[in-house]
Parts: sequence; structure tokens; C-alpha cells
Amino acid sequence: MFDPKTKVLIVDDMLTMRKIILKILEELGFNDVDEAEDGNEAWEMVKKGNYGLIVSDWNMPNCTGLEFLKLVRADEKFAKTPFLLVTAEAERGKVFEAIKCGVDNYVVKPFSKDALKEKLESTYKKVETRLSA
Amino acid sequence: MSQKKFTFEKHDGYYVIKFDGALDFNNCKLFEEEIDGNSNYANSHIIVDCESFITLHQDWIRLFLKLKSATKLTGKMFKFIHVHKELQASFKRLGVDQSFKIAKDLKEVLDEVGITVKRTINTEFINPFLLATVHVLKIQAAVEATAGQIYMKKGSENLNGDVSGIIGIVSETFNGSVVISFPEKTFLRILSKMMGQELTKLDKSNVAGAGEITNMIFGNAKVVLNQNGYGIRQAIPRTKQGKENDVGSDAKAPAIVVPFETQLGEFFVEIYLAA
Repeated sequence: MFDPKTKVLIVDDMLTMRKIILKILEELGFNDVDEAEDGNEAWEMVKKGNYGLIVSDWNMPNCTGLEFLKLVRADEKFAKTPFLLVTAEAERGKVFEAIKCGVDNYVVKPFSKDALKEKLESTYKKVETRLSA
Repeated sequence: MSQKKFTFEKHDGYYVIKFDGALDFNNCKLFEEEIDGNSNYANSHIIVDCESFITLHQDWIRLFLKLKSATKLTGKMFKFIHVHKELQASFKRLGVDQSFKIAKDLKEVLDEVGITVKRTINTEFINPFLLATVHVLKIQAAVEATAGQIYMKKGSENLNGDVSGIIGIVSETFNGSVVISFPEKTFLRILSKMMGQELTKLDKSNVAGAGEITNMIFGNAKVVLNQNGYGIRQAIPRTKQGKENDVGSDAKAPAIVVPFETQLGEFFVEIYLAA
């Protein structure tokens, strides 16, 4: 599992969902968590911060989660940052598109605390080798 | 033996070919057997749904060209829809971009050939919203919701709740809106459970929670509806405080109302079709 000291960025245009994810992360022990309202704001924060994990909504105005993911993956400095997409729909085409763009994992809304914890654990297993390289 | 990873969805006057994931080279033989074995395909408009793939092997090009030639002989349309940018580039690279005509979506093709598909609100359309509502409330708020007796209301009548999430339905066959409408007390109780903190008053930030609930319900229902060919497009919800019905032009069309009971109070799912 990710070290609870990992700096996390939550990105979602809906305050309610940011607070739900924040609450779950806090219950899992994460205490260094920032929030952004859309992909543009998140990208500015990524460039300044040192995030070890990004949890981003997909469907946002201005800059979607997918567009934000592409920005992160295109920049060598941040390309390896673990990235979890949160989406209200799990249509095959969309999932495929996200995987092609380099997402590490995705979670479908609605999700329980256990479901998000499981996704974080499986994401960590997937990226562990990449992060230690 | 390879398993078929494609389907030919039969409709009145046309077929929609859908693929389960990327185009499997091993499926070419099965696909060719399918098109050779059914002369109806050549006599129908053919629409290839490219949503699940971004590249294709030469053998698939040959098969699509074969099917296209057959439809051309009978004066029928052969088009690709939901074509990703990468696939378009592949078409160009492989020299078939002039032969493989692309349309944005099914509706565009059907409009071009003059086929009108009239969808009605029926249980096939409503049920995914009801099931999604129950699912979302249960998982995200640990609230059990039970649907009551469905009834119709005039589209111009007030919304049933004080706080509503509204999302537009734009699809290949009809347009409308879905509204999840909560009385204030029910909404605050449900949102309190979702967020793990007691909320006692409506304010701008927590009213937005109605939009998120609506977003989740719509997203879950959309997956099922699109598997059944409704072609519903992605949308971003908005929220409304107050009962005044401003659900765009949809307010003129009749609405179906599904009341829900929970241990925290009642709320309503309202479905409007555009007039």
C-alpha cells in the first residue's frame, strides 16, 4: 500500500466527491492531501508540488481527467506519478482509452471505503516496480 | 476454437456491428464466415461502431471493403461511427480514408438515410435509472431506497423536491432530462451520511451534492442503456435549489415520476422527454 506520508492530489469539480475521497484517505492514514477543481488547476499544482499519487475525476469542465492525465504522462518530470481515475461510467471504450493514455487504475462511482482501499492497494502493486526504478 | 468477439445488431433496415474490445486477428475468419453466410447484410445499411478499437490489421481492412462493396451494389450505406483520432490516422496511413466514410454517431447515419427511430419511455429505459438510484444510495450513502408507484405529471409542473440534480439526455434517438429531486430534510440527511458529517443547513457547496448523486445515477444507468443501443452521450449535471421547474424546453413535455422511500425520507426521480 502507498505510504500514508505520500502527498496526494484529489481532482474533482464536485466538492462533495472531493470531501468523500478526502475522508476515506484520511481514514486510511493519508494526511498530506490537496484538492483541485479541474485538470487545469491540478496541472498547475502538479508542476509546483511533489505528488506521489493523483486521484482524479474524469468528467470535469475546462480540462477533463483524461486531458489532465495526458499532461502528466507527457512531462518526463511527472510521467511516473501514480494516477487513479474516478469515473461515474465504466463503458468499455472509455476504459480502453484511459489505459491507452497511461492510467494506472480506475474506480467507478459509487464506491465504498473498502472498494477505494482495494483500488489503491492494487494500484500500488502495479506501480511499485516503476517507482523504485 | 476462437470465440466471436463481434455482434451484428439487427434493426429495421440496418445493422450495427459492434466489437468486444480490440479487433482480434483470430476473429477475421469468423467475421468472414458471418458476412458470407448472410445475404441480408448486403441488403441493409451497415454501421460499424469503432468505439472499442483504435487500430486495425490489413485483414480487417479487406473484410470491411468486402462488406462495403456488397452494400454498394444494393445502394446501401456503409459507414463507421465513434472513430477515434488514432483510427482515422490509421485509415489515412493504410490508404482507405476515401473508401471508409465516417459519421459522428448512429443518429447522423440514420438521418442521412432517412430512418427515424422513435424511442419511447418504457421499462427498458426507466429500469436502469431505478436500479442505479438504489445502487448509488446503497453504496455511497449506506441508504436503502425503495421505488414506489410510478406516475405521470405535466412537464411544466413544479419539481417535487427543494434540491435537485438535473442532467440532460442527449442520445441518438431522443433528448430529455433526468432530475433527482430531494426535499430539503431528506437531502441533508443523505448528504450527511455520504460525507460522514452532520449537515444542518443548505448552502451552495452542499447543494452541489445533488449534482454528484445525479451524476453517479446517470453514469451507471448510461452504461446499461448504451449496451441496449440507446447511444446516450456523456453530460455534466447541474443543480437547482427550489421547486420552480426550469428543466429547459423539456418542461413542456410530460414527465414520469418515480417516488422513492428511504429511512431518511422520500425523494423523486423525474424523467422528462423533450417535446
